[in-house]
Amino acid sequence: MKRLPLEGVHVVDLSMMWAGPFATHLLGEMGAEVIKVESPRAWDNVRTLFPIPGPEPWNASFYFNDYNREKKSLTLDLAQPRGRELLLALVAKSDAVVENYRADVLDKLGLGYAQLRQARPDVILVSMAGFGKTGADRELVGFGPIVEQMAGLASLTGYGDDGVPYKTGISYGDPVGGIAAASALVLALIRRRRTGEGAWIDLAQRETMAQMLPEAFVAASLRGEEPVHRGNRHPTWAPQGVYPSEGKEQWLALSVRSDAEWRALCEVIGAPELASLALEARRARHDELDERIAAWSSARDGAVAQEALQARGIAAARMLDSDSIHWDPHLLAREFWDFMPHPRMATIPQPAPAWRLVEANPRPRRPAPLFGEHNREILCGLLGVAEAELTELAAAGVIGDVPMGAGVG
Amino acid sequence: MLPLDGMRVLEIGGSVPAAFATRWLAGYGADVARSEGPEGALERDEEVALLPGKRRIAASDAQLRALALAADVVVEDGRPGALAARGLDPLALRAEKPALVVTSLTPFGQTGPHAGFEATNLTAHAAGGILSVTGVRGRPPLANGANQALKLLGLEGFAASVTAYLGALVSGEGDWIDLSAQECAAGMLEFHGPRSAVDGLPSPRLGNRTTAIWGLYRCLDGFAGVCSLQRQARALFEGMGDPELLTPRFLDPMERMKDDKELGARVERFFSDKKKAELLALGLKQKVPFGAVMTPRELLDSKALAERGFFDEVATEDGVARVPGRPFLGLPWRAGALSAPGADSAAVLRDWLGTSA
Repeated sequence: MKRLPLEGVHVVDLSMMWAGPFATHLLGEMGAEVIKVESPRAWDNVRTLFPIPGPEPWNASFYFNDYNREKKSLTLDLAQPRGRELLLALVAKSDAVVENYRADVLDKLGLGYAQLRQARPDVILVSMAGFGKTGADRELVGFGPIVEQMAGLASLTGYGDDGVPYKTGISYGDPVGGIAAASALVLALIRRRRTGEGAWIDLAQRETMAQMLPEAFVAASLRGEEPVHRGNRHPTWAPQGVYPSEGKEQWLALSVRSDAEWRALCEVIGAPELASLALEARRARHDELDERIAAWSSARDGAVAQEALQARGIAAARMLDSDSIHWDPHLLAREFWDFMPHPRMATIPQPAPAWRLVEANPRPRRPAPLFGEHNREILCGLLGVAEAELTELAAAGVIGDVPMGAGVG
Repeated sequence: MLPLDGMRVLEIGGSVPAAFATRWLAGYGADVARSEGPEGALERDEEVALLPGKRRIAASDAQLRALALAADVVVEDGRPGALAARGLDPLALRAEKPALVVTSLTPFGQTGPHAGFEATNLTAHAAGGILSVTGVRGRPPLANGANQALKLLGLEGFAASVTAYLGALVSGEGDWIDLSAQECAAGMLEFHGPRSAVDGLPSPRLGNRTTAIWGLYRCLDGFAGVCSLQRQARALFEGMGDPELLTPRFLDPMERMKDDKELGARVERFFSDKKKAELLALGLKQKVPFGAVMTPRELLDSKALAERGFFDEVATEDGVARVPGRPFLGLPWRAGALSAPGADSAAVLRDWLGTSA
């Protein structure tokens, strides 16, 4: 089997919630060995964010278990000296550390870049606080939606008739920051191969999010443009929109990019009298055209309508929701959904690596770890801790396999 | 020394996904040669934002093939099969040069029943699932701004390309990367994706309010948001100074859900007579995530971004534009200038192939 690009790379993952774990999940998918470190007193909050019925809810979280595959779990209380000592011993044997604590936390734990470098001089530290480690906003606390607001994207999103900006329905700043963080770590590895030097990446999630709207900064800086809410319409083409399909909350997105496509659409929807409308007229009469398209689409199954329009070369897609996406024939044909069993959770479709290396063909290799599942393997096997000490560590709460006082939230 | 010094990248096709992916490659030091896509592949503002630091070439298919074999990474965003039709079949290129990485960015990927589908940002976004949870109930789902399906594909294209390039440096073996915009999004549906996989119920569109304490509200000078976890709820309620909120009805996470609407009304009132700056300051004081909706113009004036040196300046015919520069601190980055279409053909052919046009 062909080697994955990050085989042999060892990553210590101190991150929690979604942005950091998304980054380390990508690294794991590409072959890195990722050790996720949580404290028995301060675990990854995603484990307990939603009430999960049954025993060990922290191990049965569908949310946690989707984004923490390809990782091993080690618990260490970093507030205790022995916990910090063991972490530094682990860092000494690792290439990189990823953390997304609030900007001041790592230093306060005595585990800042300077300390990590003492353990491993060429270590790569990826810090990914919401607003970075420096600058006037460094102390602000941020989650994905906050990052999206503070980076300008929410200001560009809206229906246009109510003046209201909208947030994306997922915490979009998180995966964007996560992908960027994974790439930053890889860039630092490339540079280290050439220079022998480690690096400290100071990634602000707000800034990686702002990277996703660069043309808006061009418009604002050159012409002072303020955001325009276009709903689902295109600044030039027409018509474009998201139209109702047959059934409850079923929708069809389509774009008409040329006169030829417009004529084809008019044939499909049975509106020959509109076929000669030029772009300017289509833009001026967009509301009316939307009604005509909706009258056609709302009486049809979205998948059927999509095929009919695609057959005429019109860009159209049935909108997939968080359920139907698991049954999309295209994604199923590409084996995008993976059905790996997990010891504490029913088997569900989980995403396979989106980075399809056609030849190396990365596939999911291990389910998300149970809390502290690999304590013995890592502490005794990798770090040479005596078996007898494990009991002491557990008694002192330095390690554990049950989060202390886990409730919901 | 720049992280990607010595790396050669050929960009073919050149609409937003490929142009975005290679923008960061160029900034971190790669020599990026961009072969222009069809007329209008990029809007003018997109060119200013995505092309700084790249060399722009006009080359025949035969020249492109030679350049591809002289490159470390080829990034392209044409239709599936389009590259092969031009004599640049990724697998054939790889057979000739095993260390080569070819990154193909498409809406639906290279294989499968929808691979040949026509697509735009909006339709690709619809197929990826994120659209379904954005916007409000009672109105159509709403696409977020600035062509995010295309940008996300470009971002993932960058990250996957450098990862495969590192693999090639280590082992001498590159790969062909088949990235689909649909899959990039389908794998990031937060809790919505796995929850629906468990219970079979699609997540509804919740507009700007997932819960009362995880939402976006109108304030005195615009809009501001709060995203409070359970562990931050007490600090939030203390900051709001409403004693009734400090009772089990609102402090207990399960109890709170029963009265979420009432809580939402209270938060709405609280936000309504405060300014964005006031709310941000309160978030700082209480260590609760508060945010404010900022526009690109406001961000261009942001003290924090200026202190961190976020923006690069790019000279254009219409004046100096300011664009996002280095994506993160800690590795050297170079701001680049804009070149004209085809202006660098001779230089690239000379530098990469030792030949003239």
